[in-house]
Amino acid sequence: MKLTCAKPDTLYSVTSVSGDGPQYRRLLDMGFCPGSEVYVAGTAPFGGTVLVSLRGYSVALRESAADMINVEPCHGL
Amino acid sequence: MDCKIALVGNPNVGKTTLYNKITHSFEHVGNWHGVTVEAVTKTILFEHNRLEVCDLPGLYSLTVYSPEEGVSRDAVLENSHDVIIDVCEVNNLSRNLYLTLQLLEARAPVIVTLNMMDELRRRGMTVNYRKLERVLGVPVVPMETKYHSEIHMLLSIAVDYASGRRHDPIELTYLDKLPVRELETVIGKNADACGMDARYAAIKVLERDSCIIGKLALTDDQKKYIDSLGNRQAELASARYGFIDEITDGVILSSVAAEHGEMHEHEVHNVPLTESERQECDADADKRRHIRRHGRIKKKISMSRRGFSGLDRVFLNKWAALPLFLVIMLAIFMLTFGDYMPGYWMKTGLEWVFDELLAANIARGLTAVGAWNWVTGLVTDGIIGGVGGVLVFLPQIVLLFLFLALLEDSGYISRVAFMTDGLFRKIGLSGRSVFTMLMGFGCSATAVLTARGLEDEKMRKKTILLTPFMSCSARFPVYSAICTAYFATGKPFIIFGMYVLGAAVAIAMAALFNKFSAMKSGELSFIMEMPPYRIPTAARVFQILWHNAKAFIVRVGTVVFALNVIVWLLSSFGVGVVGGAWVFGYVGDYEGLRSFLQYFAGAISPVFAPLGFGAGEHGWQAVTALISGLVAKEVVLSTMESFGGVAVVFGSNAPAALAFIVFTLLYVPCIATLAAVKKEAGTKWMLGGIALQLGTAYVVSLAFYWIATLFTVNPGAGVSVVIAACVAIVVALIFAHAAHKKRFACIGCGGDCGRCGKRK
Repeated sequence: MKLTCAKPDTLYSVTSVSGDGPQYRRLLDMGFCPGSEVYVAGTAPFGGTVLVSLRGYSVALRESAADMINVEPCHGL
Repeated sequence: MDCKIALVGNPNVGKTTLYNKITHSFEHVGNWHGVTVEAVTKTILFEHNRLEVCDLPGLYSLTVYSPEEGVSRDAVLENSHDVIIDVCEVNNLSRNLYLTLQLLEARAPVIVTLNMMDELRRRGMTVNYRKLERVLGVPVVPMETKYHSEIHMLLSIAVDYASGRRHDPIELTYLDKLPVRELETVIGKNADACGMDARYAAIKVLERDSCIIGKLALTDDQKKYIDSLGNRQAELASARYGFIDEITDGVILSSVAAEHGEMHEHEVHNVPLTESERQECDADADKRRHIRRHGRIKKKISMSRRGFSGLDRVFLNKWAALPLFLVIMLAIFMLTFGDYMPGYWMKTGLEWVFDELLAANIARGLTAVGAWNWVTGLVTDGIIGGVGGVLVFLPQIVLLFLFLALLEDSGYISRVAFMTDGLFRKIGLSGRSVFTMLMGFGCSATAVLTARGLEDEKMRKKTILLTPFMSCSARFPVYSAICTAYFATGKPFIIFGMYVLGAAVAIAMAALFNKFSAMKSGELSFIMEMPPYRIPTAARVFQILWHNAKAFIVRVGTVVFALNVIVWLLSSFGVGVVGGAWVFGYVGDYEGLRSFLQYFAGAISPVFAPLGFGAGEHGWQAVTALISGLVAKEVVLSTMESFGGVAVVFGSNAPAALAFIVFTLLYVPCIATLAAVKKEAGTKWMLGGIALQLGTAYVVSLAFYWIATLFTVNPGAGVSVVIAACVAIVVALIFAHAAHKKRFACIGCGGDCGRCGKRK
């Protein structure tokens, strides 16, 4: 499933990042690589932008970027 | 010896704070990402060494994304620095080390410093930097920017490192998982030909860095080979992060003893660990890992445990976020500009000093010594009246700058960008533009420079063009003086209304631009990090206050003062025929003599007659104020004060005074801002901007003048016109919204409303 469809206040794990171009590179550089845990905190008041945290910092993504990230629900801790 | 040092690191890790501390500078700092937009260099003396320290914009990786990151990347790759200090934030170690690894891959002369140790220590943690030093093979210096001793240590290590005591760089084992070696042999010759390190070139080719691939001038066979390797970008990033997870495991500890143990062992014997010792160490690490995993109570995952502050629950709440933002802005304006608030009392005090103490006594003194009329006029009206008239706003302007700086330093401004992004993207801007626009409330000229962090070129230029519409602090004195004279009861509303009007005009213009394809922004990405909330220190608050107060006093003392004297002289001396003879002299000495400015500005003033303030015998004074305001906006008020105050300039025409403040808000910004716009966006955009600003200012103040006049003639008619206009705007918006509903998400839609085109 895509990160755009993720439920707020939930922990996910990244399965892959698809796409190409500078945005794809930036996502990889920021640590969205397979296996990393992503916590979805919520969406912006006007919609379209999602706030996630990974590796101990938080980052806002527009849906075009969030669409590139495939996640699966993370059970356990 | 001479030594060139560059500060490199992720955005918002405190590079500029460190730079300011090392070089005793006052570069702009803030708690958000991308404050620094260009390289700054300063040379200092450090223990008989000349250090040239260079502060660079932050970057996440050596494959660049926005123009300001290119500056940093080039500085690293040019190899012109003796030492590169890689500033890492210790609370966000893994992503910071990602850049460190890239620097090591490029074989840059790196020393790593772990910044913000205070935040880690406050949480009762410590860092085993010795372990990092061992695996990375470069010096690692934990530090806090506020301690001189730690900065001293960092610089000593940097100088030591530069003078040749190098550690052996490690073999980056994680690269073995990728075909780096094979690629090295294939493109080695190309890399040698353009003076690049073969391993680094191979890595960048795997990352598909178009800049490096272009430089290498590959043959078709080589390109075919590279294509056959497939897309390995994700693999490479994963390999780096995997390596980082491995080396950072157990580096951040909750006990001081563990760090101490290892340091002790190193400092005393100063020998590397033997194999058996290392195994012991690893066994310890396993034990620690076990404790970390099982020794605590499992809790439900909450925001605060995931790097979010509890404040975000409130500030980023879907429903509370925007109202809270408006309340915060309103509170800032109230505290600064409101009557009976801190800013007001300080201003009243200063006014008393200027009017009662200085002006009255100096005038009495000058008359007593028998000075000429014009000298008395120049000193009391021109200098004390004009310059003093602006200087009394010092407390309020400094307070405004303080609040803006607090917005920046607390980290709240990034939240504003996040929550307004949805609104701004609809008009072709991004939430990132909010930084620039909010900074525009302080000073347009410096705000324009912050737009450089915006990635899309058109969006950047639009933001630059629209920022001067935001009411800068120098325009506030004009509103305040006019409101006090004409609209005493509605003063807070009109002043706040001017700020809202400026922002509304900027947003309306952006929406309008987005309708023209030539000005439309491309599909934009928006990946923005949220900084943690931080409480500014008292020292920082005083620094902001002192720095802004000094800047304001210097401006008023130089530019405003000089211009005021010139304007006063030109408006007080004239040539003309009085009593049948040609005279040249002070207008106060001759009945009916017209001053130079009266001729010049009087020729232009009919243009502004429809706006009210250009008409009448004092029309030339208002026009003079506007023209001299091009140099600096403070001069608008100081000029009017030197003519005897706003009450003289506008007489009994209150609507004209209102039209004047609207015109002051919207017309061409000061020369410093124009220069900044020209530098950032080009001459064409600057000239277009001037035309746009003049046109907008004229039309909007014309509307304000006639509606206000209608109110004074017949309040009922005025109210109905305003209501009709509001209804018309709402209807137009509804129609526009209905037309777009099919293509765009509706406001507040999460994608499941079924009415709009937004995908789920």
